Amino acid sequence: MSIAKAHTGEVSSSARWRDYLELCKPRVVALMLFTAFVGMLLAAPGHVGWNPLIFGTLGIALMAGSAAAINHLADRHIDALMTRTQFRPLPSGHMDTRSVLVFAAIMGMLGMSILILRVNMLTAILTLVSLLGYAVVYTLYLKHATPQNIVIGGAAGATPPLLGWTAVTGQIDSGALLLFLIIFTWTPPHFWALALYRKDEYARVGVPMLPVTHGDDYTRLQITLYTVLLSLVTVLPYLTGMSGIVYLAAALILDGIFLYYVLALQISRSRPLAIKTFVYSIVYLMLIFTALLVDHYLPLLNVM
Amino acid sequence: MVEAGAHRRFVLLLRLTLVMGFAVIVLGSFVRLSNAGLGCPDWPGCYGHLVGVPENASEIESANQDYPQRIVETHKAWKEVIHRYFAGTLGLLALFLVVLSVIFRRRPGQPVRLPVAILVLIGFQALLGMWTVTLQLKPVIVMAHLLGGFATLALLWWLNLSISKWPRITIRRSLGGIRRWANLAAAVLVVQIALGGWTSANYAALACPDFPTCHQQWWPDTDFAEGFILWRGTGINYEFGVLESPARTAIHLTHRIGALVALLIVGALALILRFRQAIPSALRGTGSAIVLLLAAQISLGISNVVFYLPLPVAVAHNAVAAMLLLATLTAVYMLKSATLQKPSERFL
Repeated sequence: MSIAKAHTGEVSSSARWRDYLELCKPRVVALMLFTAFVGMLLAAPGHVGWNPLIFGTLGIALMAGSAAAINHLADRHIDALMTRTQFRPLPSGHMDTRSVLVFAAIMGMLGMSILILRVNMLTAILTLVSLLGYAVVYTLYLKHATPQNIVIGGAAGATPPLLGWTAVTGQIDSGALLLFLIIFTWTPPHFWALALYRKDEYARVGVPMLPVTHGDDYTRLQITLYTVLLSLVTVLPYLTGMSGIVYLAAALILDGIFLYYVLALQISRSRPLAIKTFVYSIVYLMLIFTALLVDHYLPLLNVM
Repeated sequence: MVEAGAHRRFVLLLRLTLVMGFAVIVLGSFVRLSNAGLGCPDWPGCYGHLVGVPENASEIESANQDYPQRIVETHKAWKEVIHRYFAGTLGLLALFLVVLSVIFRRRPGQPVRLPVAILVLIGFQALLGMWTVTLQLKPVIVMAHLLGGFATLALLWWLNLSISKWPRITIRRSLGGIRRWANLAAAVLVVQIALGGWTSANYAALACPDFPTCHQQWWPDTDFAEGFILWRGTGINYEFGVLESPARTAIHLTHRIGALVALLIVGALALILRFRQAIPSALRGTGSAIVLLLAAQISLGISNVVFYLPLPVAVAHNAVAAMLLLATLTAVYMLKSATLQKPSERFL
């Protein structure tokens, strides 16, 4: 007992800033923050105030980090069983559950305070709902309950541009919902490509991901169908007049490449191609939002 | 030994003819797209000159007197006659091919009928080339001249595939459906090339000056009945087109819709060849080539509209169309000549 305690004490004291950073899933959060940032800049025609840019980003970042830490906490038993995640701070023993909980709580409260005091109530509430949606509804319930887990849970992951938008305008506009819709539709092909690759690990830990429950062929078909849907959704910003021809050109090319990947995946049934598709999907989302941004500021350049 | 030498000579001549055929097509599109198709108002001479064009002041003056309806533009005349010289050379090369194939006719596997067909086709092309000039760019003649050129190149390529040591493949019987799909893709391409020729012949490439919309509309004012009248009588000068805007718009839109159909059908073929399991690697390479050419061709087509028909882009759109057709025909040929393997033989 005392040895175990000493062991835990020793381990948690050895936890370094790297472990805390790891808890926040920095790469995922960075992508989310980028989309939130684009949401902010697209919300207003001209210059966006520094207040929402700085405090909005900070608040959303802290809340997202907190959600990620709670996810680490909730998934620690599964993580220990999967090769990809077995070296995370909790399963590797670098940190104990209590310090993670405290860390998540502090970040969440800090983020919430910043959003309430310096941004606006709507953004604070929406961010909290997203955090709970991801960390509680998705991680604790949906993930283990249904193969539609990431489809429904994707709603929580798709909110950052909406949060960025409301941080600037204080209200939910159609443009913000469109950005939300892009990520919402993007999540299934993105995640299922990874799930195809990691199917065996998911099966071993009993997570009912689509390839585990319905097989690879069905998953590939769903990936293709969702990518077709995504191609249509990403044309909407042009059709509604929110974005111009530059965005459209970029979106059509990016959609074309995405479709090429998923059709190749569909036809070849190759597993290495699944991970390539997954990597491309990340590049795709970054470039789609970059294109939205470039297209948004291009008219300003012409004026000058 | 003699046999091999004969074969090598034939192959060498064929390759040369093939390159020349491609050059004539690209040159022809260049002549048309730089509006030099009527650079010479007569045929086979140019303002009466059998070699060269009127160049010094006195020649130009007498030429202008003889052909008052078309004032000499030396640079256009040169483009036109250079195309004629290249085409003439192609005809001579094709004639040599026929001579060689008749001489070697007893050699096993020596094609004779195909070279003869190519020579006849080139002769017909000369006729169409003449009518292009004398009927003053009548659209149906211009389109037929384009299709004739593509047909010549396609037959030369087919001849090349059938006599060179192109990899013979074996495919599973279950992949037999791909054969029909490849034939369909080739047919779709031919229709789309004809539509492209019709678009150019009627000066409809800029009938929709925007993309993806046309006149800022998804379905603008069109007149399909007028746009697809093939024969409008002779004695009309068709240079720069005679159709009203809605008719040209209809032609342009049809080519765009054709592009979408071609993208789906040829694209599907390419992806299947590229990625389907158990496809022989030679066929896989053809699939990759079709993917690249298709992407290039769609981009060039869109660029034609967006950048207002720059000459190099327009010429490249024609050249890549030819290459895309040849790549697709390669797949058709390989699938056609493939040995079908019964499922039970798969493990032998």
